[in-house]
Amino acid sequence: MDSVIEINLLIRAFNEMLLGLRRKLGPFLVTLLMVSLSFMVFDIFIAVSWNLQTVLREEQENVGVEVFLEPSVTQAAALTLADLISTMDGVRSVYYVSSDEAELVFRADLPDQAGLLDLMGSSFRLPASVQVSLHTDHRTDDRVVPLARTLSGMQGVEDVIYGEEYLPGLTSAVNILARLVLLAGLVLAVSLSLIVANTVRLAVAEKSLTVEIMSIVGAPGWFVRLPFIGEGIVTGLLGSAGSLLFTAVISLVLSPTVPHRFLPGQWIAGVLLLGTCAGTIGSWIGMRSGIPRPRA
Amino acid sequence: MLIRMTGISRHYSEWPALRSIDLEVATGDFLVVSGPSGAGKTTLLRLIWMGDRPSKGVLEVAGYRSDRISQRDLPVLRRKLGIVFQDFRLLEERTVFDNVALPLQVAGTSPRVIRKRVFALLAEMELSHRRSSRPHELSGGEQQRVAIARAMVAHPVILLADEPTGNLDPEVSRRVIDLLLEINRSGTAVVLATHDPRQVPAGIARHLYLDKGELVDPGAWDGFGD
Repeated sequence: MDSVIEINLLIRAFNEMLLGLRRKLGPFLVTLLMVSLSFMVFDIFIAVSWNLQTVLREEQENVGVEVFLEPSVTQAAALTLADLISTMDGVRSVYYVSSDEAELVFRADLPDQAGLLDLMGSSFRLPASVQVSLHTDHRTDDRVVPLARTLSGMQGVEDVIYGEEYLPGLTSAVNILARLVLLAGLVLAVSLSLIVANTVRLAVAEKSLTVEIMSIVGAPGWFVRLPFIGEGIVTGLLGSAGSLLFTAVISLVLSPTVPHRFLPGQWIAGVLLLGTCAGTIGSWIGMRSGIPRPRA
Repeated sequence: MLIRMTGISRHYSEWPALRSIDLEVATGDFLVVSGPSGAGKTTLLRLIWMGDRPSKGVLEVAGYRSDRISQRDLPVLRRKLGIVFQDFRLLEERTVFDNVALPLQVAGTSPRVIRKRVFALLAEMELSHRRSSRPHELSGGEQQRVAIARAMVAHPVILLADEPTGNLDPEVSRRVIDLLLEINRSGTAVVLATHDPRQVPAGIARHLYLDKGELVDPGAWDGFGD
Protein backbone atom coordinates (compact mmCIF):
# COMPACT_ATOMS: atom_id res chain seq x y z
CA MET A 1 0.00 0.00 0.00
CA ASP A 2 2.80 2.36 1.00
CA SER A 3 4.68 1.66 -2.21
CA VAL A 4 1.54 2.46 -4.24
CA ILE A 5 1.28 5.79 -2.40
CA GLU A 6 4.98 6.46 -3.03
CA ILE A 7 4.57 5.70 -6.75
CA ASN A 8 1.49 7.96 -6.96
CA LEU A 9 3.48 10.69 -5.21
CA LEU A 10 6.46 10.25 -7.54
CA ILE A 11 4.21 10.49 -10.60
CA ARG A 12 2.55 13.56 -9.08
CA ALA A 13 5.93 15.19 -8.33
CA PHE A 14 7.03 14.52 -11.93
CA ASN A 15 3.77 16.05 -13.20
CA GLU A 16 4.35 19.07 -10.95
CA MET A 17 7.78 19.52 -12.55
CA LEU A 18 6.34 19.34 -16.08
CA LEU A 19 3.54 21.70 -15.07
CA GLY A 20 6.09 24.17 -13.72
CA LEU A 21 8.21 24.01 -16.88
CA ARG A 22 5.18 24.37 -19.15
CA ARG A 23 3.89 27.39 -17.25
CA LYS A 24 7.15 29.29 -17.62
CA LEU A 25 8.34 27.88 -20.91
CA GLY A 26 9.65 31.26 -22.13
CA PRO A 27 11.94 31.98 -19.14
CA PHE A 28 12.96 28.31 -19.09
CA LEU A 29 14.08 28.45 -22.73
CA VAL A 30 16.02 31.66 -22.04
CA THR A 31 17.79 29.95 -19.12
CA LEU A 32 18.47 26.95 -21.30
CA LEU A 33 20.02 29.17 -23.95
CA MET A 34 22.11 30.92 -21.28
CA VAL A 35 23.37 27.61 -19.92
CA SER A 36 24.03 26.29 -23.46
CA LEU A 37 26.06 29.37 -24.42
CA SER A 38 28.07 29.24 -21.18
CA PHE A 39 28.74 25.58 -21.73
CA MET A 40 29.59 26.14 -25.39
CA VAL A 41 32.65 28.16 -24.37
CA PHE A 42 33.75 25.16 -22.34
CA ASP A 43 32.97 22.74 -25.17
CA ILE A 44 35.05 24.77 -27.63
CA PHE A 45 37.87 24.94 -25.10
CA ILE A 46 37.90 21.20 -24.53
CA ALA A 47 37.52 20.48 -28.26
CA VAL A 48 40.62 22.60 -28.95
CA SER A 49 42.40 21.00 -25.99
CA TRP A 50 41.45 17.53 -27.10
CA ASN A 51 42.75 18.13 -30.62
CA LEU A 52 45.96 19.55 -29.17
CA GLN A 53 46.26 16.63 -26.82
CA THR A 54 45.74 14.22 -29.71
CA VAL A 55 48.60 15.86 -31.61
CA LEU A 56 50.80 15.78 -28.51
CA ARG A 57 49.93 12.16 -27.80
CA GLU A 58 50.74 11.23 -31.40
CA GLU A 59 54.08 12.91 -30.82
CA GLN A 60 54.46 10.96 -27.62
CA GLU A 61 53.71 7.76 -29.55
CA ASN A 62 56.95 8.37 -31.42
CA VAL A 63 58.93 8.68 -28.23
CA GLY A 64 61.39 5.83 -28.12
CA VAL A 65 65.04 5.17 -27.55
CA GLU A 66 67.63 4.45 -30.22
CA VAL A 67 70.66 2.57 -28.93
CA PHE A 68 73.58 2.85 -31.35
CA LEU A 69 76.11 0.06 -31.12
CA GLU A 70 79.87 0.17 -31.49
CA PRO A 71 81.12 -1.19 -34.86
CA SER A 72 82.89 -4.04 -33.05
CA VAL A 73 79.63 -5.51 -31.74
CA THR A 74 78.74 -8.66 -33.64
CA GLN A 75 75.18 -9.43 -34.70
CA ALA A 76 74.95 -12.24 -32.10
CA ALA A 77 76.14 -9.91 -29.34
CA ALA A 78 73.71 -7.22 -30.54
CA LEU A 79 70.79 -9.66 -30.43
CA THR A 80 71.80 -10.73 -26.89
CA LEU A 81 71.90 -7.08 -25.91
CA ALA A 82 68.47 -6.50 -27.50
CA ASP A 83 67.08 -9.46 -25.52
CA LEU A 84 68.48 -7.99 -22.33
CA ILE A 85 66.95 -4.57 -23.07
CA SER A 86 63.54 -6.13 -23.78
CA THR A 87 63.36 -7.34 -20.18
CA MET A 88 63.89 -3.85 -18.75
CA ASP A 89 61.11 -1.94 -16.99
CA GLY A 90 58.88 0.09 -19.34
CA VAL A 91 60.19 -1.53 -22.54
CA ARG A 92 57.39 -2.71 -24.82
CA SER A 93 59.47 -4.12 -27.68
CA VAL A 94 62.92 -4.00 -29.22
CA TYR A 95 64.04 -4.24 -32.81
CA TYR A 96 67.57 -4.79 -33.99
CA VAL A 97 68.59 -2.75 -37.03
CA SER A 98 71.77 -4.02 -38.70
CA SER A 99 74.17 -1.76 -40.61
CA ASP A 100 72.81 -3.03 -43.93
CA GLU A 101 69.20 -2.41 -42.91
CA ALA A 102 70.11 1.05 -41.59
CA GLU A 103 71.59 1.89 -44.99
CA LEU A 104 68.48 0.63 -46.80
CA VAL A 105 66.23 2.68 -44.54
CA PHE A 106 68.40 5.77 -45.02
CA ARG A 107 68.28 5.44 -48.80
CA ALA A 108 64.51 4.85 -48.75
CA ASP A 109 63.66 7.65 -46.31
CA LEU A 110 66.13 10.25 -47.59
CA PRO A 111 66.66 9.54 -51.29
CA ASP A 112 68.14 13.00 -52.00
CA GLN A 113 70.77 12.47 -49.29
CA ALA A 114 71.74 9.02 -50.53
CA GLY A 115 74.71 10.51 -52.40
CA LEU A 116 76.34 11.27 -49.06
CA LEU A 117 76.78 7.56 -48.40
CA ASP A 118 78.51 7.12 -51.76
CA LEU A 119 80.82 10.06 -50.98
CA MET A 120 81.88 8.42 -47.72
CA GLY A 121 83.23 5.46 -49.64
CA SER A 122 82.52 1.72 -49.56
CA SER A 123 84.25 1.21 -46.23
CA PHE A 124 81.79 3.49 -44.44
CA ARG A 125 79.06 1.66 -42.56
CA LEU A 126 76.11 3.17 -40.76
CA PRO A 127 76.06 1.99 -37.14
CA ALA A 128 73.80 -0.89 -36.15
CA SER A 129 71.24 -0.04 -33.52
CA VAL A 130 68.52 -1.37 -31.25
CA GLN A 131 65.21 0.51 -31.57
CA VAL A 132 63.47 0.48 -28.18
CA SER A 133 59.71 1.07 -28.06
CA LEU A 134 58.24 2.04 -24.66
CA HIS A 135 54.95 1.50 -22.88
CA THR A 136 52.65 4.58 -23.01
CA ASP A 137 53.14 5.58 -19.38
CA HIS A 138 56.92 5.34 -19.77
CA ARG A 139 57.11 7.95 -22.54
CA THR A 140 57.74 10.85 -20.17
CA ASP A 141 61.12 12.44 -19.59
CA ASP A 142 61.31 11.36 -15.93
CA ARG A 143 61.13 7.71 -17.07
CA VAL A 144 63.06 7.89 -20.32
CA VAL A 145 66.12 9.74 -18.96
CA PRO A 146 67.06 7.10 -16.32
CA LEU A 147 66.50 4.33 -18.87
CA ALA A 148 68.73 6.09 -21.42
CA ARG A 149 71.38 6.53 -18.74
CA THR A 150 71.32 2.82 -17.93
CA LEU A 151 71.51 1.89 -21.62
CA SER A 152 74.47 4.25 -22.16
CA GLY A 153 76.44 2.38 -19.52
CA MET A 154 75.97 -1.00 -21.15
CA GLN A 155 78.87 -2.70 -22.89
CA GLY A 156 78.97 -2.22 -26.66
CA VAL A 157 76.74 0.84 -26.64
CA GLU A 158 78.21 3.83 -28.41
CA ASP A 159 75.39 6.37 -28.10
CA VAL A 160 71.78 6.66 -26.95
CA ILE A 161 69.26 9.05 -28.51
CA TYR A 162 65.77 9.63 -27.11
CA GLY A 163 64.66 13.10 -28.16
CA GLU A 164 66.12 14.86 -25.14
CA GLU A 165 65.59 18.24 -26.85
CA TYR A 166 61.78 18.07 -27.03
CA LEU A 167 60.72 15.36 -24.57
CA PRO A 168 60.65 17.52 -21.39
CA GLY A 169 58.60 20.22 -23.16
CA LEU A 170 56.23 17.67 -24.64
CA THR A 171 55.64 15.99 -21.28
CA SER A 172 54.93 19.27 -19.50
CA ALA A 173 52.65 20.48 -22.34
CA VAL A 174 50.54 17.33 -22.07
CA ASN A 175 50.33 17.69 -18.28
CA ILE A 176 49.50 21.42 -18.36
CA LEU A 177 46.77 20.86 -20.93
CA ALA A 178 45.19 18.09 -18.87
CA ARG A 179 45.20 20.36 -15.76
CA LEU A 180 43.78 23.28 -17.73
CA VAL A 181 40.85 21.16 -18.93
CA LEU A 182 40.20 20.04 -15.35
CA LEU A 183 40.41 23.60 -14.03
CA ALA A 184 38.14 24.97 -16.77
CA GLY A 185 35.67 22.15 -16.05
CA LEU A 186 35.59 23.03 -12.36
CA VAL A 187 35.24 26.77 -12.96
CA LEU A 188 32.47 26.19 -15.44
CA ALA A 189 30.70 23.69 -13.20
CA VAL A 190 30.69 26.26 -10.39
CA SER A 191 29.47 29.12 -12.60
CA LEU A 192 26.84 26.92 -14.19
CA SER A 193 25.69 25.76 -10.76
CA LEU A 194 25.26 29.40 -9.77
CA ILE A 195 23.23 30.18 -12.90
CA VAL A 196 20.95 27.21 -12.22
CA ALA A 197 20.82 28.08 -8.50
CA ASN A 198 19.65 31.57 -9.31
CA THR A 199 17.07 30.30 -11.78
CA VAL A 200 15.68 27.81 -9.29
CA ARG A 201 15.69 30.43 -6.51
CA LEU A 202 13.62 32.70 -8.76
CA ALA A 203 11.33 29.78 -9.59
CA VAL A 204 10.89 29.05 -5.88
CA ALA A 205 10.14 32.73 -5.18
CA GLU A 206 7.63 32.75 -8.02
CA LYS A 207 5.99 29.62 -6.67
CA SER A 208 6.24 30.59 -3.00
CA LEU A 209 2.46 30.35 -2.48
CA THR A 210 2.36 26.91 -4.10
CA VAL A 211 5.28 25.78 -1.94
CA GLU A 212 3.60 27.18 1.19
CA ILE A 213 0.20 25.65 0.43
CA MET A 214 1.73 22.28 -0.44
CA SER A 215 3.58 22.32 2.84
CA ILE A 216 0.41 23.35 4.75
CA VAL A 217 -1.72 20.61 3.19
CA GLY A 218 0.84 17.99 4.19
CA ALA A 219 3.14 17.45 1.22
CA PRO A 220 6.34 15.65 2.27
CA GLY A 221 9.48 17.78 2.02
CA TRP A 222 10.93 15.71 -0.82
CA PHE A 223 7.70 16.09 -2.80
CA VAL A 224 7.98 19.88 -2.58
CA ARG A 225 11.70 19.81 -3.47
CA LEU A 226 11.68 17.19 -6.22
CA PRO A 227 10.15 19.35 -9.00
CA PHE A 228 12.81 22.02 -8.39
CA ILE A 229 15.64 19.47 -8.36
CA GLY A 230 14.15 17.92 -11.51
CA GLU A 231 14.05 21.33 -13.13
CA GLY A 232 17.75 21.82 -12.31
CA ILE A 233 18.68 18.42 -13.71
CA VAL A 234 16.72 19.04 -16.92
CA THR A 235 18.26 22.52 -17.27
CA GLY A 236 21.81 21.17 -16.77
CA LEU A 237 21.34 18.17 -19.05
CA LEU A 238 19.50 19.97 -21.87
CA GLY A 239 21.78 23.02 -21.51
CA SER A 240 24.92 20.94 -21.94
CA ALA A 241 23.30 18.95 -24.77
CA GLY A 242 22.40 22.24 -26.48
CA SER A 243 25.97 23.46 -26.08
CA LEU A 244 27.27 20.29 -27.73
CA LEU A 245 24.87 20.87 -30.60
CA PHE A 246 26.09 24.47 -31.05
CA THR A 247 29.71 23.32 -30.85
CA ALA A 248 29.08 20.56 -33.39
CA VAL A 249 27.62 23.12 -35.80
CA ILE A 250 30.67 25.37 -35.34
CA SER A 251 32.92 22.34 -35.83
CA LEU A 252 31.12 21.46 -39.07
CA VAL A 253 31.42 25.01 -40.37
CA LEU A 254 35.14 25.17 -39.56
CA SER A 255 36.09 21.66 -40.69
CA PRO A 256 36.89 22.55 -44.36
CA THR A 257 39.34 25.28 -43.31
CA VAL A 258 40.64 24.06 -39.96
CA PRO A 259 41.31 20.32 -39.95
CA HIS A 260 40.24 18.89 -36.60
CA ARG A 261 38.15 16.20 -34.98
CA PHE A 262 34.98 16.67 -32.89
CA LEU A 263 34.95 15.42 -29.31
CA PRO A 264 34.94 11.64 -28.83
CA GLY A 265 31.97 9.86 -27.20
CA GLN A 266 33.54 9.68 -23.73
CA TRP A 267 34.13 13.44 -23.63
CA ILE A 268 30.58 14.12 -24.84
CA ALA A 269 29.29 11.89 -22.05
CA GLY A 270 31.57 13.80 -19.64
CA VAL A 271 30.11 17.16 -20.73
CA LEU A 272 26.55 15.86 -20.29
CA LEU A 273 27.44 14.44 -16.87
CA LEU A 274 29.07 17.70 -15.82
CA GLY A 275 25.97 19.62 -16.95
CA THR A 276 23.67 17.29 -15.06
CA CYS A 277 25.77 17.49 -11.89
CA ALA A 278 26.03 21.28 -12.08
CA GLY A 279 22.25 21.50 -12.62
CA THR A 280 21.56 19.24 -9.65
CA ILE A 281 23.94 21.10 -7.33
CA GLY A 282 22.64 24.46 -8.54
CA SER A 283 19.00 23.56 -7.98
CA TRP A 284 19.85 22.22 -4.52
CA ILE A 285 21.58 25.49 -3.59
CA GLY A 286 18.76 27.58 -5.09
CA MET A 287 16.08 25.55 -3.36
CA ARG A 288 17.75 25.66 0.05
CA SER A 289 18.05 29.42 -0.11
CA GLY A 290 14.58 29.86 -1.63
CA ILE A 291 12.24 27.60 0.32
CA PRO A 292 11.22 29.16 3.63
CA ARG A 293 11.83 27.15 6.78
CA PRO A 294 9.83 27.24 10.04
CA ARG A 295 10.98 30.05 12.30
CA ALA A 296 12.98 28.87 15.30
CA MET B 1 -7.55 15.55 23.50
CA LEU B 2 -6.85 16.88 19.99
CA ILE B 3 -5.09 20.06 21.03
CA ARG B 4 -3.42 20.69 24.37
CA MET B 5 -1.50 23.89 25.14
CA THR B 6 0.22 24.24 28.49
CA GLY B 7 1.92 27.52 29.35
CA ILE B 8 2.48 28.39 25.69
CA SER B 9 4.35 31.62 24.96
CA ARG B 10 5.69 32.92 21.67
CA HIS B 11 8.13 35.81 21.53
CA TYR B 12 9.45 37.49 18.38
CA SER B 13 12.69 39.11 19.49
CA GLU B 14 11.49 40.80 22.69
CA TRP B 15 7.88 41.24 21.59
CA PRO B 16 5.45 38.72 23.14
CA ALA B 17 2.90 37.50 20.56
CA LEU B 18 1.41 34.97 23.01
CA ARG B 19 1.80 34.70 26.79
CA SER B 20 1.14 31.67 29.00
CA ILE B 21 -1.74 30.17 27.05
CA ASP B 22 -3.46 27.08 28.48
CA LEU B 23 -5.96 25.53 26.14
CA GLU B 24 -7.63 22.22 25.33
CA VAL B 25 -9.69 21.22 22.31
CA ALA B 26 -11.43 17.84 22.14
CA THR B 27 -13.05 15.94 19.26
CA GLY B 28 -16.23 17.69 18.17
CA ASP B 29 -15.41 21.01 19.89
CA PHE B 30 -16.13 24.34 18.24
CA LEU B 31 -13.74 26.91 19.62
CA VAL B 32 -14.02 30.57 18.70
CA VAL B 33 -10.90 32.63 19.41
CA SER B 34 -11.68 36.33 19.27
CA GLY B 35 -9.70 39.45 19.83
CA PRO B 36 -8.61 42.67 18.18
CA SER B 37 -6.03 42.82 15.40
CA GLY B 38 -2.58 41.89 16.70
CA ALA B 39 -4.03 39.98 19.67
CA GLY B 40 -2.22 36.79 18.64
CA LYS B 41 -5.07 34.82 16.99
CA THR B 42 -3.12 34.01 13.83
CA THR B 43 0.00 33.13 15.86
CA LEU B 44 -2.12 30.73 17.93
CA LEU B 45 -3.43 28.98 14.83
CA ARG B 46 0.04 28.97 13.27
CA LEU B 47 1.38 27.19 16.34
CA ILE B 48 -1.39 24.60 16.05
CA TRP B 49 -0.46 23.70 12.47
CA MET B 50 3.17 23.91 13.53
CA GLY B 51 4.13 26.51 10.98
CA ASP B 52 5.83 28.05 13.97
CA ARG B 53 7.06 26.69 17.30
CA PRO B 54 6.37 28.05 20.79
CA SER B 55 9.17 29.83 22.65
CA LYS B 56 7.97 28.28 25.91
CA GLY B 57 5.45 25.69 27.05
CA VAL B 58 4.17 22.36 25.79
CA LEU B 59 2.00 22.04 22.69
CA GLU B 60 0.43 18.77 21.61
CA VAL B 61 -1.70 18.42 18.47
CA ALA B 62 -3.28 15.13 17.38
CA GLY B 63 -0.71 13.20 19.40
CA TYR B 64 2.35 15.14 18.17
CA ARG B 65 4.35 17.38 20.50
CA SER B 66 5.81 20.48 18.89
CA ASP B 67 9.17 20.00 20.60
CA ARG B 68 9.51 16.39 19.50
CA ILE B 69 7.89 16.22 16.07
CA SER B 70 10.29 15.27 13.27
CA GLN B 71 10.39 16.83 9.80
CA ARG B 72 9.09 13.50 8.51
CA ASP B 73 6.05 13.57 10.81
CA LEU B 74 5.14 17.19 10.14
CA PRO B 75 3.33 16.42 6.84
CA VAL B 76 1.57 13.50 8.56
CA LEU B 77 0.24 15.87 11.23
CA ARG B 78 -0.81 18.47 8.67
CA ARG B 79 -2.83 15.89 6.75
CA LYS B 80 -4.93 15.58 9.90
CA LEU B 81 -5.64 19.31 9.81
CA GLY B 82 -7.62 21.48 7.46
CA ILE B 83 -6.67 25.14 7.25
CA VAL B 84 -8.68 28.05 5.88
CA PHE B 85 -7.28 31.57 5.54
CA GLN B 86 -8.87 35.00 5.25
CA ASP B 87 -7.21 35.56 1.84
CA PHE B 88 -8.22 32.04 0.65
CA ARG B 89 -4.71 31.24 -0.63
CA LEU B 90 -5.96 29.39 -3.67
CA LEU B 91 -3.47 28.60 -6.41
CA GLU B 92 -4.32 30.88 -9.31
CA GLU B 93 -2.80 28.71 -12.01
CA ARG B 94 -4.94 25.70 -11.04
CA THR B 95 -8.61 24.99 -11.54
CA VAL B 96 -11.10 24.67 -8.68
CA PHE B 97 -10.87 20.89 -9.04
CA ASP B 98 -7.07 20.91 -8.78
CA ASN B 99 -7.10 23.29 -5.81
CA VAL B 100 -9.49 21.05 -3.91
CA ALA B 101 -7.65 17.90 -4.96
CA LEU B 102 -4.23 19.16 -3.80
CA PRO B 103 -4.23 17.67 -0.25
CA LEU B 104 -5.11 14.26 -1.72
CA GLN B 105 -2.56 14.56 -4.52
CA VAL B 106 0.27 15.33 -2.10
CA ALA B 107 -0.79 12.39 0.07
CA GLY B 108 -0.35 9.97 -2.84
CA THR B 109 -4.06 9.14 -3.20
CA SER B 110 -4.92 7.42 -6.47
CA PRO B 111 -6.40 9.64 -9.22
CA ARG B 112 -9.61 7.54 -9.25
CA VAL B 113 -10.26 8.10 -5.55
CA ILE B 114 -9.33 11.79 -5.89
CA ARG B 115 -11.89 12.30 -8.68
CA LYS B 116 -14.60 10.55 -6.72
CA ARG B 117 -14.01 12.43 -3.49
CA VAL B 118 -13.50 15.86 -5.05
CA PHE B 119 -16.59 15.60 -7.25
CA ALA B 120 -18.68 14.56 -4.24
CA LEU B 121 -17.37 17.43 -2.13
CA LEU B 122 -17.83 20.01 -4.89
CA ALA B 123 -21.44 18.84 -5.28
CA GLU B 124 -21.94 19.15 -1.53
CA MET B 125 -20.53 22.69 -1.60
CA GLU B 126 -22.60 23.57 -4.66
CA LEU B 127 -19.46 24.18 -6.68
CA SER B 128 -19.74 21.41 -9.29
CA HIS B 129 -20.45 23.89 -12.07
CA ARG B 130 -17.27 25.77 -11.15
CA ARG B 131 -14.85 22.81 -11.15
CA SER B 132 -12.99 23.95 -14.28
CA SER B 133 -12.89 27.62 -13.32
CA ARG B 134 -9.80 29.43 -12.08
CA PRO B 135 -9.98 31.13 -8.68
CA HIS B 136 -10.02 34.66 -10.15
CA GLU B 137 -13.21 33.79 -12.02
CA LEU B 138 -15.07 33.11 -8.73
CA SER B 139 -16.80 35.42 -6.28
CA GLY B 140 -15.31 35.88 -2.79
CA GLY B 141 -17.87 33.52 -1.26
CA GLU B 142 -17.17 30.87 -3.87
CA GLN B 143 -13.43 31.21 -3.36
CA GLN B 144 -13.84 30.73 0.39
CA ARG B 145 -16.04 27.68 -0.19
CA VAL B 146 -13.32 26.25 -2.46
CA ALA B 147 -10.78 26.93 0.30
CA ILE B 148 -13.03 25.14 2.82
CA ALA B 149 -13.50 22.25 0.40
CA ARG B 150 -9.72 21.99 0.06
CA ALA B 151 -9.39 21.98 3.83
CA MET B 152 -12.04 19.28 4.21
CA VAL B 153 -11.25 16.95 1.31
CA ALA B 154 -8.82 14.76 3.28
CA HIS B 155 -11.26 14.38 6.21
CA PRO B 156 -9.23 16.29 8.82
CA VAL B 157 -9.85 15.88 12.55
CA ILE B 158 -9.37 19.60 13.16
CA LEU B 159 -10.38 22.50 10.93
CA LEU B 160 -8.50 25.74 11.57
CA ALA B 161 -10.16 28.83 10.15
CA ASP B 162 -8.24 32.10 10.38
CA GLU B 163 -10.67 35.00 9.83
CA PRO B 164 -12.44 33.10 7.04
CA THR B 165 -15.11 35.79 6.68
CA GLY B 166 -12.75 38.75 6.86
CA ASN B 167 -13.06 39.51 3.13
CA LEU B 168 -16.73 38.61 2.70
CA ASP B 169 -20.00 40.53 2.97
CA PRO B 170 -22.37 39.73 5.89
CA GLU B 171 -24.68 37.41 3.95
CA VAL B 172 -21.84 35.35 2.49
CA SER B 173 -20.10 35.40 5.89
CA ARG B 174 -23.21 33.87 7.49
CA ARG B 175 -23.23 31.08 4.90
CA VAL B 176 -19.55 30.35 5.52
CA ILE B 177 -20.15 30.19 9.30
CA ASP B 178 -23.14 27.88 8.70
CA LEU B 179 -20.85 25.68 6.65
CA LEU B 180 -18.31 25.55 9.49
CA LEU B 181 -21.09 24.65 11.95
CA GLU B 182 -22.25 21.87 9.64
CA ILE B 183 -18.69 20.55 9.38
CA ASN B 184 -18.46 20.64 13.18
CA ARG B 185 -21.73 18.72 13.52
CA SER B 186 -20.19 15.93 11.44
CA GLY B 187 -17.57 15.49 14.19
CA THR B 188 -14.66 17.66 13.06
CA ALA B 189 -13.27 19.97 15.73
CA VAL B 190 -13.24 23.57 14.51
CA VAL B 191 -11.02 26.38 15.75
CA LEU B 192 -12.22 29.69 14.36
CA ALA B 193 -10.18 32.86 14.77
CA THR B 194 -12.29 35.97 14.27
CA HIS B 195 -12.45 39.57 15.39
CA ASP B 196 -16.24 39.27 15.64
CA PRO B 197 -17.28 36.69 18.26
CA ARG B 198 -20.99 37.27 17.60
CA GLN B 199 -20.73 35.27 14.38
CA VAL B 200 -21.16 32.05 16.38
CA PRO B 201 -23.64 31.92 19.29
CA ALA B 202 -22.13 31.10 22.69
CA GLY B 203 -24.47 28.14 23.16
CA ILE B 204 -22.97 26.36 20.16
CA ALA B 205 -19.31 27.21 20.55
CA ARG B 206 -16.81 27.78 23.30
CA HIS B 207 -15.40 31.32 23.21
CA LEU B 208 -11.91 32.45 24.13
CA TYR B 209 -10.66 36.02 24.01
CA LEU B 210 -7.14 37.11 23.29
CA ASP B 211 -5.74 40.55 23.95
CA LYS B 212 -2.07 41.45 23.55
CA GLY B 213 -1.23 37.74 23.48
CA GLU B 214 -3.06 36.84 26.68
CA LEU B 215 -6.34 35.08 27.32
CA VAL B 216 -8.65 37.61 28.97
CA ASP B 217 -12.01 37.64 30.67
CA PRO B 218 -14.86 38.08 28.08
CA GLY B 219 -16.14 41.18 29.82
CA ALA B 220 -12.77 42.84 29.67
CA TRP B 221 -12.83 42.96 25.88
CA ASP B 222 -15.03 45.60 24.28
CA GLY B 223 -15.55 43.60 21.08
CA PHE B 224 -17.90 41.23 22.83
CA GLY B 225 -19.97 43.91 24.45
CA ASP B 226 -20.59 45.77 21.14
